[in-house]
Amino acid sequence: MSTYRVRGKGRVDASKPIVFTFDGKPYTGLKGDTVASALLSHGVHLMGRSFKYHRPRGAIAAGSEEPNALIGTRRSAGRFEPNTRATVQEIWEGLETNSQNKFPSLKWDVGAVNDAAYMMFSAGFYYKTFMWPRSFWDKVYEPFIRAAAGLGVSPTEHDPDTYASRNLYCDLLIVGAGPAGIAAAREAAGKGLSVVLVDENAEMGGSILSEPQAKIEGKTSWDWLSDELADLKAAGVKLMTRTTAIGYYHENLIALVEKLTDHLPTLPADTPRERMWRVRAKQVVLAQGALEKPLVFHGNDRPGVMLAGSAQTYLHRYGVKVGNSPVVVTSHDSAWYAAFDLQDAGAYVQAIVDTRAQVRQDLQAEARSRGIPVKLSHTVTATGGRLRVNNVRVNPLSGTNVGAGQWIKCDALLMSGGWTPSLHLFSHTKGSLAWDDDLTTFLPKDTPEDCVITGASRGLWGTEAALRDGATRVGEALAKLGVEATATEYTVADDRTGSGVMMRELPTDRSPGKAKAFVDYQNDVTAKDLRLAVREGMRSIEHVKRYTTNGMATDQGKMSNINGLNIAADALGKKQPQVGLTTFRPPYTPTTFGAFAGYHRGEHFEVVRKTQIDAWAETQGAVFEPVGQWRRARYFPKAGETMDQAVTRECAATRASVGIFDASTLGKIEVVGPDAAEFVNRMYTNPFLKLAPGKCRYGLLLGDDGFIRDDGVIARVDENRFHVTTTTGGAARVLNMMEDYLQTEWPDLNVWLTSTTEQWSTVALNGPNAAKLLAPFVEGIELTEEAFPHMSCVNCTVAGYPARLWRVSFTGEVGFEINVAAPYGRDLWEKLWEAGQQYDITPYGTETMHVLRAEKGYIIVGQDTDGTVTPADAGMDWAVGKKKDDFVGMRGLKRPDLVAENRKQLVGLLTEDNSWLEEGAQIVFDPKQPVPMTMRGHVTSSYNQGTTGRPIALAVIEGGHSKMGETVYIPMPDRTIAAKITGTVFYDPENSRLKI
Amino acid sequence: MSKHISSLAPSVVVDTAAARVAVSQMIGRISLRARGDLAAVGQAIGVELPTQIGARAKADGIEVACLGPDEWTVLVSLGQIEKVEDALAALYPSLPHSMTEVTGREVTFTIEGPQAVELLSIGAPRDLSTIKVGQARRMFFDGATVVLWRDAETSFRMDVWNSFASFLATTLETGAKELAAELA
Amino acid sequence: MIQIHCPYCGETLPELEFAYAGEAHIDRPESPSAQTDEEWAEFLFMRQNVKGPHFERWRHLHGCGRFFNAVRNTITDRFYITYKAGEPRPDLATLLEEDNK
Repeated sequence: MSTYRVRGKGRVDASKPIVFTFDGKPYTGLKGDTVASALLSHGVHLMGRSFKYHRPRGAIAAGSEEPNALIGTRRSAGRFEPNTRATVQEIWEGLETNSQNKFPSLKWDVGAVNDAAYMMFSAGFYYKTFMWPRSFWDKVYEPFIRAAAGLGVSPTEHDPDTYASRNLYCDLLIVGAGPAGIAAAREAAGKGLSVVLVDENAEMGGSILSEPQAKIEGKTSWDWLSDELADLKAAGVKLMTRTTAIGYYHENLIALVEKLTDHLPTLPADTPRERMWRVRAKQVVLAQGALEKPLVFHGNDRPGVMLAGSAQTYLHRYGVKVGNSPVVVTSHDSAWYAAFDLQDAGAYVQAIVDTRAQVRQDLQAEARSRGIPVKLSHTVTATGGRLRVNNVRVNPLSGTNVGAGQWIKCDALLMSGGWTPSLHLFSHTKGSLAWDDDLTTFLPKDTPEDCVITGASRGLWGTEAALRDGATRVGEALAKLGVEATATEYTVADDRTGSGVMMRELPTDRSPGKAKAFVDYQNDVTAKDLRLAVREGMRSIEHVKRYTTNGMATDQGKMSNINGLNIAADALGKKQPQVGLTTFRPPYTPTTFGAFAGYHRGEHFEVVRKTQIDAWAETQGAVFEPVGQWRRARYFPKAGETMDQAVTRECAATRASVGIFDASTLGKIEVVGPDAAEFVNRMYTNPFLKLAPGKCRYGLLLGDDGFIRDDGVIARVDENRFHVTTTTGGAARVLNMMEDYLQTEWPDLNVWLTSTTEQWSTVALNGPNAAKLLAPFVEGIELTEEAFPHMSCVNCTVAGYPARLWRVSFTGEVGFEINVAAPYGRDLWEKLWEAGQQYDITPYGTETMHVLRAEKGYIIVGQDTDGTVTPADAGMDWAVGKKKDDFVGMRGLKRPDLVAENRKQLVGLLTEDNSWLEEGAQIVFDPKQPVPMTMRGHVTSSYNQGTTGRPIALAVIEGGHSKMGETVYIPMPDRTIAAKITGTVFYDPENSRLKI
Repeated sequence: MSKHISSLAPSVVVDTAAARVAVSQMIGRISLRARGDLAAVGQAIGVELPTQIGARAKADGIEVACLGPDEWTVLVSLGQIEKVEDALAALYPSLPHSMTEVTGREVTFTIEGPQAVELLSIGAPRDLSTIKVGQARRMFFDGATVVLWRDAETSFRMDVWNSFASFLATTLETGAKELAAELA
Repeated sequence: MIQIHCPYCGETLPELEFAYAGEAHIDRPESPSAQTDEEWAEFLFMRQNVKGPHFERWRHLHGCGRFFNAVRNTITDRFYITYKAGEPRPDLATLLEEDNK
């Protein structure tokens, strides 16, 4: 048994020793220990180095509020987490832990020179020191700051753990399973409500776990606790431990993070490491208790200086004495009990130092009876010891005078500045707070949410008060749920209540300017920094916070906010409520990215949509690219081929014989009803009223601002039915836009829209042999120029499947699009593939599709257009119906800016030296002008794998349509490329190849 | 290799103590849109159209769910679908409406088992208890729009557009295994 | 994440099922060609950008698919009412009064 372990105390299992390592050295703890409690049981207080000054630090708390004892925890490759609080991490056999922010070792750290240079690193240090020269920022200052300051190191390996999420609806959610939360759950249990009780700790009970002396309803507090939890479970209350409520969002949505495996020696199968619960509760009870405030004095951060309440938790919950000869310094009654309990556990308390002149007689009597020296009206002005506190300087107070100091030897210094209600989640609700002069703290007032707050969270001290308040306050929530509440009246014997006074910095006889009295331990902010910030002109607490970084560390100001406020208010000469509190924001405790991502990581990062033919492409070794949510085959490389080679081959083969392409991702909308033609006519620029059934027409869709939004081929299937296609990425957007116009502008139209994108697999055949290949499969139509000309559509049978067959082309070759019910697409594809072997059929991907269409000057919306391009800009005035009364965008096209001269217009570009242009490259007219040059446009599409024997490009250029044949310049980092403006059609301008 | 899910190849996605997820055989589906004399439409297809969004009706093997104020999904065996389509076509001149066959559009997962509701809760943000047995809803599930049919307390059908099926199957498989591990 | 009542479905559902669709009660003019440039610009671009109660449109995208109108407080995200497209614009003073009760 280690020196500081107390036999018979604590809830740890003495029969189950567990070995873990800290900085490579093995330590033995007990089942139930945290890393902090196990290290403390060996007398190890030094657990880390501070953020800015690299000062040695130990645990000052015993729970999730801990600012100092941040460690790295490691299980195996990739399973490393920095900045874990040692006070929360449970130990398990084989756990590896490491201290952080030290070099070369925790005990001897060269970064600690920052501490010697303390005067330099005061508030606003970064702003003042690193202002100039500006060029120093990247090369000198930032690397220095990054190396010198910081917490743990980010993991670099892939995280092999999995994370999960779940949505939960319940009647009542209770956050915090201390006495108030349990009493609230007790009232709600067994009444037909769904009740959830959560607690961030491994065990439920909260303060009861640290107060075994109390008797609740005649039972010992621990017996009462286990009976009560068993009853709640039996009554169907969902009990969740290791579950932190990290944020409270609109309409009672609370995010919980449940840690499932971090405490286990072996990882169970199929079990995520953490699970994010999104809980929507009809009513919420917040019972998160209170956090103890540190006292602010020189040397209050030395390892061994600790919160008195936390010392009690280490003693009662873990059976660990944090010291054998502690001194207690306090301004609140509660710390006296820590002194008593430690003395009773075998420690020799060297003194109780209380800043107050008057303290309860019963406490003084208890101290006397134990032989503990008591120093009322005393202050602490310094501590000593290099890596652990070994003495403390205590001075008498008389009014505002501080008398001569006396050093007292000790191995721990337990402090208490009173308690701060935990109002983080309450503040997330935009709840208002009210300053309480008696308790010198903010208390919760009103909240817009369906939420009640109870227990120590609203400033009630003692187990009985918490139990009674929990039982009473939940009644409000239950009444709203239509359930009558009884408000059990609990009786607690040996309860510990108390009061205290608020202290700012403890009075000192030394220069306050030299004091290292820490307010925010994690960000190394001292009382001096806060006063300096006010002296330098910060008036708002929000400015003081940002200038000093007080409360901005990962602990979210749990330790520092109220002390910081008290000191800033004093420096400003105002009352605390006039200064106000900074905003608490989620998450309550640091949360892993994994918990936020849940299932959505790796291959499951986001939705990936696949066509029915996708699996075939995969077997053929296709390279895929994301297009919207889809993954599409980009090209089909043969062994050893680069992308350029593959695309060049696919382009040539399609033009020479026949290529096959999966066009299934095109958006498809079925427009049906007596007003179908009228609706399509109003939506698209082209005239559709007179399009005959069995015919297709290209359609251009504008916004009412006149700019191109989408395009596609539209087929009139019969009098009352159109089959509209959209771009792949535009499908959902276009349907939404159409529904908007139909539902809200033209509800009188008798027409309906149905998404049929996924009803059809669309197989495109293109090339001079396309008709020959397809004809034998088709029943119901002759594939001749006469019977089935370009831009025709027909319902027929292809390969035995009912099909909508279209004669369309996006390549400039004879083309067909065969639509069959989606599941049959794969079979149709394979049949065509097999029969196509005689024509050297070549599968091609999106890259080849892009090249072939660019050779024909067919635009891709979103690539050659960018939301500011009109049909005229794109050279597509031919697509705009001139005799129409109205269509979406018609009026917009007449806006002054849209008919102005010199708009950017889509043209072709051919480089003089046959080099390939980069898409997005900027274009200038005069390459010799001074920098910055006037940019006149940019390259929108550029390819060198095509069939015209040279690279081609499309570009938008100011006044481009009137500049045919002129030379423009494309400055690149290494050279300037000259290119000639041409038309956009590079291949077969007569469209002779569209004929069968 | 990635999952390939097709209504032409019914298969079991995952089967654990918590839940079983399987791909159903292809069934005939019609997206029906209509206003006005709904009784006539009901007569044509042989099932009275429910008018409450989420309500269902069934007769002679034809099942209908109301998904919007003027929208219904009609499920019918592949053998019967032509008959229903002909009846609707005959009605069109007197009561114009929109009948669009979407048999090929989606895949149906059956999801059943003691933890079926919990399994759905991993991807569905809405309160599933408000979808009563015998109802159906279009809703959001893990990034996709789906239609959920509740056939019993712990038995569901989920209609999913083809392209989303493999992604959602992975979600359901992961969840069913996770829930089973919790039971163990 | 807020919850939104769909006036067509009669259910209050998570925001994830809905898509925002901009300010409400902006009618596309009957004959756009008769509009002056100023009038057309007003229709296309000018919006209230309200801080407080805002008349706006939503679509139950992953549900019944309907566009509908709502009055939402842009500061608190509180919905005072949702109503079907085409229904008259409710009186704001009355709404706020009822909400205060």
